[in-house]
Amino acid sequence: MAAVTDQMAPGAHVARKTPKGTFDIVFRNASFLSALFVLVLLAGIMLSMVIGGWPAFREMGLGFLTSSVWDTQNDQYGALPAIVGTLSTALIALVIGVPLSLGIAVYLTQLAPPWFKQPVSTAIELLAAVPSIIYGMWGLFVFVPLWAAYVQVPLSNIIEGMPIIGTVLYSRSPSGLGILTAGIILAFMIIPFIASIVRDMLDQIPSVLRESAYGIGATTWEVVRHVLVPQAGVSIIGAVMLGLGRALGETMAVTFVVGNANRLSASIMDPGSTIASRIANEFNEALGLQLNALIALGCILFFVTFVVLVIARILVARVKAF
Amino acid sequence: MLSTLELSPQTLDADAPVRIAVKNLDFYYGEHKALKNINLDFRDRHVTALIGPSGCGKSTLLRIFNRIYSLYPEQKATGEILLDGRNIISNNVDVNELRSRIGMVFQKPTPFPMSIYDNVAFGIRLYEKPPKSELDDRVEGALRRAALWDEVKDKLKSSGMGLSGGQQQRLCIARTIAQKPEVILFDEPTSALDPISTGKIEDLLEQLKADFTIVIVTHNMQQAARISQYTAFMYLGEVIEFDATNTIFMNPHKKQTQDYVTGRFG
Amino acid sequence: MSLTTPSTVRPLPQVTWGRVRQSRRTADRIMKVTAAGFTFLAIFVLFWILGMLVVKGLGGLSAATFTQITPGPGSEGGGLANAIVGSMVLTFLGIAVATPIGVLAGTYLAEYGKGSKLADLIRFINDILLSAPSILIGLFVYVIMVEPLGGYSGWAGGVALGIIAIPVIVRTTEDMLRLVPGPLREAGSALGAPPSVVITSITWRAAKSGMVTGILLALARIAGETAPLIFTALNNNFWFSPNLLGGVSNLPVTIYQFASAPYENWQQLAWAGSLIITVSILVLSIIARRIVRGGK
Repeated sequence: MAAVTDQMAPGAHVARKTPKGTFDIVFRNASFLSALFVLVLLAGIMLSMVIGGWPAFREMGLGFLTSSVWDTQNDQYGALPAIVGTLSTALIALVIGVPLSLGIAVYLTQLAPPWFKQPVSTAIELLAAVPSIIYGMWGLFVFVPLWAAYVQVPLSNIIEGMPIIGTVLYSRSPSGLGILTAGIILAFMIIPFIASIVRDMLDQIPSVLRESAYGIGATTWEVVRHVLVPQAGVSIIGAVMLGLGRALGETMAVTFVVGNANRLSASIMDPGSTIASRIANEFNEALGLQLNALIALGCILFFVTFVVLVIARILVARVKAF
Repeated sequence: MLSTLELSPQTLDADAPVRIAVKNLDFYYGEHKALKNINLDFRDRHVTALIGPSGCGKSTLLRIFNRIYSLYPEQKATGEILLDGRNIISNNVDVNELRSRIGMVFQKPTPFPMSIYDNVAFGIRLYEKPPKSELDDRVEGALRRAALWDEVKDKLKSSGMGLSGGQQQRLCIARTIAQKPEVILFDEPTSALDPISTGKIEDLLEQLKADFTIVIVTHNMQQAARISQYTAFMYLGEVIEFDATNTIFMNPHKKQTQDYVTGRFG
Repeated sequence: MSLTTPSTVRPLPQVTWGRVRQSRRTADRIMKVTAAGFTFLAIFVLFWILGMLVVKGLGGLSAATFTQITPGPGSEGGGLANAIVGSMVLTFLGIAVATPIGVLAGTYLAEYGKGSKLADLIRFINDILLSAPSILIGLFVYVIMVEPLGGYSGWAGGVALGIIAIPVIVRTTEDMLRLVPGPLREAGSALGAPPSVVITSITWRAAKSGMVTGILLALARIAGETAPLIFTALNNNFWFSPNLLGGVSNLPVTIYQFASAPYENWQQLAWAGSLIITVSILVLSIIARRIVRGGK
């Protein structure tokens, strides 16, 4: 305790000198105001989006959500293609990213040799540290050419004319860019978030439960599927929602590879755009109502991600900071 | 000796065959040798208790029988454990199947995150595909034998986690016996329970030995004396003395055993 | 220590092994191979990206990268000096904005707000902000700063990065302060120190390395942020003025603008910039992780 007393000495001295502990009151209030600032921030973001986007909502009405016209000459703006693009890229990211993340979490907690677990965990977490724009560079210059040459072209040749998949997976211009490409890149970006939360949840399950599941003669797969995953339960869904929140708002990587086409297409191989990519692309040249329309897009993105993240946080109930 | 000890009234059947034979068994946690040259025989349809102070290796020994230790790569066993004459710590034994034949009930109740019915049916379904009616019968039978049926028969579809601690532990016993194992291992099964629940579990063990070979680890000497026919006293990773329970508690041959059962150390 | 062998042994019932259905073993094996395969795929992608950066980025790196400023369209050579310095200025500005607010807010949540509903709400909202899309922060700062003040500025960029950093610092500060054992605080209070003194001279000191880690993680988080800067600090190919008004050159937006431009020297610089920024961020993250692990 000697060390503590030493550390205390100057502080205690100050406190005695200061009548009624002015510093104490100032410090407490400063902390409180800083904490309140977090609430102010969220409210500010919400308000600025609503107010900034209001002219566009007023001008276009409900048509802003349902129209797919984006015409800067005539000041007509519809958000539908961007909304559809945002939802479909995020959905593709989940379809690919969730199984990968669960597999990684199971590998790390149940299968990896002990000496291997730490380096692999770190590598997966570093995937989250790589900046979004670097994923964009990798996507555009490495992945896209390969995707065009080895997937889009041969696949389109095979499926041309087939019902349904002949439409959904057909690329009219096999450039490699498109909704599916963006979804795949997004999948790798959300994997570290989902995988490390699920890993932590599986690690938190008491080992005696795992042992008793093995003790009844279940294989690793049966233990994971029937006991560990149900035990982690809804918090896994929370982790997935957190990944969804990331995928919905991801900007730079998507802007590089989505193709930035302002139209709806029935094929996920075709270029499209997302809310975030549309804003990033047009913002610096936008004036007047176009600017309002872009902020209105941001407003939609805000409310969608807000709802998703609220649900996610309730389900995950504070597992780990990211 | 201890006059308060209530010794098990049943006589033991000296003709009972050996179900599990342990020969020259050593066990390692990494570099640390936790069990040294263990030799023990476990009689068919008898209760054998493993007693000894904390850290003596009794739980470690129990966890070798169903090879649950092999979940942890740094743990290693050498020697032989013969189940019906077959060495179960050799690599060519299917550990999953081994565990379905040697059931285990743990220190803490471990209901699986599923309904009461599914908890009991889980182990059966892994190894057999009985028709629905037969499965229902097996589940009911197991719950009855675990003395839990009357308490849960109206809520079979509700979660096993909603039961009390004692009920959960009987659910785990039902889950284990539903698989019809040959041997059941109990790892201090009552240490997390209140005295009434403990009493019910002890009554249960008494009945189960008619059909199963039972090995129980306990730190409670009264419990060992009440329910077992054979007792092994372990200390510092070795078996000090192994004999009929009455002998261990009334007339032990080793001084260390005597000191322990009379409460002089441990 | 076996017992005497029984004279007349009752025979054991015959048991047959091999009750494990092949389908169960197959499913188990497929799952194990798949899980391992997925893990290696993710690691492969990480190394693929890093390898790409090294191969393409090293070619564009030279002394000029660090001494010359970004070239205009069509001009020869050039470097990233202004962008690198600009990025450092913006990032440190962001941390300078975020650290006092984040540390104080985290302190409030951990030390003063125990059991209060308001603190629970703030904690929850902070967690939401932690994952909020950074592009929205950029738009927000555009609306509250760039538009009213009449132009892009480094100050707006710094504020945007600061807002992204705040929730990271709040969260790690709170978590780290909660790890400080209660008796340490009680010992301080028992000496007659008021709460503020106990916090600043005992609790903060005990949690110092964890709090520094939080700030480093926040630094790593904002150093590569691009989207919010497009709306705030923008970018240009000159040295920015010391008052940080007008566009301030920075690495991420430079990479964004140069990467798909038709000039070869721009593309080279984009790769060099990508390498520099990624290596810096990965080194920061690894250092932060080391501190956390060393502190435990």
